[in-house]
Amino acid sequence: MRIAVTGATGYIGTYLIGLARTHNHYITAVSRRRPHSRPMDWIPWEMSAKTVALPPGTDVVVHLAAETTGSRDRNEETEVLAAEVLVAAARKVRAKFIFVSSQTARPHAPTLYGRIKWRIEEQVLAAGGWVVRPGLVYGASARGVFGTLVDIVGRVPILPAFLPAPQVQPIHVHDLAEGLLRIVEGEEASCRTYVLAGSQPVSFTRFLHEIARSRLRCHRMFLPIPASLFLGCSRVLDVLSLRRWGIERVQSLFDLSKMETVSDLNRLGLVLRPLNSGLHVSGSARKRRMLQEGLALLTYVLKTKPENAALRRYVRMIEQLRGGETLNLPNLLLRYPALLSLLGDSTWDNEAAKAEFAWRMDAATLLGEATPAGSVRFLGLGRQHGLFSRGQVLVKAATCELMWRSLSAVGVPLIRKMLARAKAAL
Amino acid sequence: MSTKFDVIIIGSGPAGVSAAFPLLEAGLNVLMIDGGKVPDMAPPEQDFLSARRDDFEQWKWMIGQDFCAIHMRSAVSPKFRVPSLAFTFDGFEQGNNIKGKNFVTIGSLAAGGLSNAWGCGVARFSSAELAEFPSEASSDMERSYEVVSRRIGISGKIDDDMSDYFKLDAYAQPPIPMDPLHASLATRYATQRTKLRAQGFRMGRSRVAALSEDVGSRKACNLSGNCLWGCRRRSLYSAADDLLKLHRYENFSRLAGFLVDGLTRRDGSWNIEGQGTDGTRRAIVAKTLLLAAGTLATTRLVLSALKYEEAVPVQSSPMAVFALWLPRFLATQRVTGFGLGQLSFAVTLAKATAFGSTFSTTGLPVSEFARHLPWRRRYGIDILSSLLGSCLAGNVFLPGNLTAGEARLQKDGALMVSGAYRGSVMPLMKEAADKLRRAYRSLGAFLLPGSFTIGAPGGDIHYAGTLPMRNQPAIGEISPVGEVLGLEGVYVVDGACLPILPEKSHTLTIMANADRIGRKIAVLQRRRAG
Repeated sequence: MRIAVTGATGYIGTYLIGLARTHNHYITAVSRRRPHSRPMDWIPWEMSAKTVALPPGTDVVVHLAAETTGSRDRNEETEVLAAEVLVAAARKVRAKFIFVSSQTARPHAPTLYGRIKWRIEEQVLAAGGWVVRPGLVYGASARGVFGTLVDIVGRVPILPAFLPAPQVQPIHVHDLAEGLLRIVEGEEASCRTYVLAGSQPVSFTRFLHEIARSRLRCHRMFLPIPASLFLGCSRVLDVLSLRRWGIERVQSLFDLSKMETVSDLNRLGLVLRPLNSGLHVSGSARKRRMLQEGLALLTYVLKTKPENAALRRYVRMIEQLRGGETLNLPNLLLRYPALLSLLGDSTWDNEAAKAEFAWRMDAATLLGEATPAGSVRFLGLGRQHGLFSRGQVLVKAATCELMWRSLSAVGVPLIRKMLARAKAAL
Repeated sequence: MSTKFDVIIIGSGPAGVSAAFPLLEAGLNVLMIDGGKVPDMAPPEQDFLSARRDDFEQWKWMIGQDFCAIHMRSAVSPKFRVPSLAFTFDGFEQGNNIKGKNFVTIGSLAAGGLSNAWGCGVARFSSAELAEFPSEASSDMERSYEVVSRRIGISGKIDDDMSDYFKLDAYAQPPIPMDPLHASLATRYATQRTKLRAQGFRMGRSRVAALSEDVGSRKACNLSGNCLWGCRRRSLYSAADDLLKLHRYENFSRLAGFLVDGLTRRDGSWNIEGQGTDGTRRAIVAKTLLLAAGTLATTRLVLSALKYEEAVPVQSSPMAVFALWLPRFLATQRVTGFGLGQLSFAVTLAKATAFGSTFSTTGLPVSEFARHLPWRRRYGIDILSSLLGSCLAGNVFLPGNLTAGEARLQKDGALMVSGAYRGSVMPLMKEAADKLRRAYRSLGAFLLPGSFTIGAPGGDIHYAGTLPMRNQPAIGEISPVGEVLGLEGVYVVDGACLPILPEKSHTLTIMANADRIGRKIAVLQRRRAG
């Protein structure tokens, strides 16, 4: 399909285009700046432009662009008129029109942002287009409101826990891109509004806490602050025209009502990733745990850090043969792989866990062996071969074995507790 | 497909190709049907140690892009974990509707059958062993042994204490050079042989279907150590090599990728029913049909054509593996060498003979040993990387009648194979271990404690004797010319028809017997035509 995207260089636009290209769609960027990430067709376009000519044969227009700079001379009408121009251009080439709106869109929304979105929605629906209201978009690179929040959490050691806490419905930007693409590709005849977001709201405080824990891996304290106090202060900032801090969109969080998203998610067959997964830089906590586990096991086997390719192989193997499930080893063992020698037959409280650990150890042994580094470690290629050095290795290995066995035997209750705690943490 | 073929052979393994040659030479039109699976990856280009040192992609042939080696972790032999051999075993049990209960059931749908992954051990049956064959059969075997041995190319000719046991030196090439560990064992044996022979232990070079001299396009072994991973020089015999030769006969045709699932009698002919790889079902009509699908698959076809629901016996050689340590070689560097049997032994036990061979450990993954070592893995690898270079691996087999196996056709058409070792196996194995320990100690090698491990029933993959040849066959038995009693025109030429499975390698005998039956059928067909 030929898809024209406004706001192509923005947060959502970047990921939507990336995904659309893997589906072999042909993209035209309609934006102020030429997208530099990848070569693609580009139509220069300003929101204030009175006309825009879309290439003939365009099948879908996805309108993502929004005025986010919060500049003082922002005119309520500019965005609405820009949408009007785009809708007309889309109609001319008979393209489907999809407008990405906001959860805050309401006729009498307290923020200008919400009111503008509402007006555009009305317009788009009247012209037979589709409207998508995403929840709080987060994940991957720190941009948009999410970028502002990551920035704040990273800088400020004590964060506000608003009382009452606003409830947000997050959606990972990759999941949103997937959803948008399904609407783009969909055969649906009549227009409608989609709400795409996590079905269960989470408190804003929890969201900030997860950013600290999963994304930035830091600890943050929370100070309870009445929401009214924050809103009062932000109004003062408003008056002082300090909108560019992005305060306005944070402000709009206080004005969210719960969206019923289940039926729309089902309609698109969209399954959203859990929040703690999505907040990892890799977009998946599971993948990170697999990498950690592979690193620990391979380092344990090879006695040196494995090559990255071997590590990736471990993750791919776990994904293929073990459905991506990790062992949930304690952090201490993941950080200091030598401690894996503490785990013996008696440290596991059930046969299944013991067998699974043995399976992974065997797999890591084989993956480690089948590398050039493994040929040194396993076959002794290129190593000293004197009788004395061989003898030394044997004595040392036997001593270590004895030591770890004794340690493991003495520490069984402690090790079991540690394993159980690591398992419960997930 | 009409009966334009005089003979149809099901299976392209060692038995199938061996039966085909005499039929083709007699001018008969032969169609060979097989599962047609072929290797999907090339063998390593460098020798084993260079590849291990330099090849960043070595995981592809050691583990496989689909992680075959890890997926097959619990399979009985390292062979099943070799990615380049996966095609050999792939889909056999499902495709042939065979199930094992406490019994390992292995077979092949590959072009060339199980010989793609065999240990290349060859031996002739002794006259006492051949005496178990129908008298007519045993007398004709001599010539067939020679024909087959010369065709496949075997090495190991040397006048030693195993010459009488193998009886193949008349047709063999010189032996492939031994590695230093085996050479040392052989030297010591020469000085101790009288004493050891008195103990019932004799040792000599292994006779193997691997070339020490070039034959046609197949090249002599260059000691690359890739026996397990795939030999670029095709020094190791595979029936797939013979398939190439068969294609040179104008009267030979082959239908690859056709899985036979049943035989029905119609108008004096046999309808061979099955389906192609694309799932389309068809039937092929045959007057004369040779079954060489492998013992288990052939057994199922015969029993279901006979509608025979009683159990038939399955012979299978109880097997054990062990490790030897030669302390003198503790400080030696690893060198590549021949990866299959280098020295073989026969041990006389109280009520049987045990046979086995020893192998270099270099071409095997160290992981194979590490996982059985009850140490913390990190230190287990330490030990093995220092110790394994001075170790050898060995295997030992007992006669097949010591496994009480049976195969029975089930209501759903599946063949259920089950079995257990007879009570005498454990004492015999213990006796074998003791005798080996003692013998090897006088050769300067120690049988590593805890390493003597007895395999599961069927794990040897030497199956035979389900439909034995008899002078006077009963139902479910085979005539001296290989014809199934009750199924006129259906002949069995693979391991299923062996009346006896001794401890020694039986493949050459299966091939010789197939050759013999092929000759007989050629004569019968010509007589019928003339």
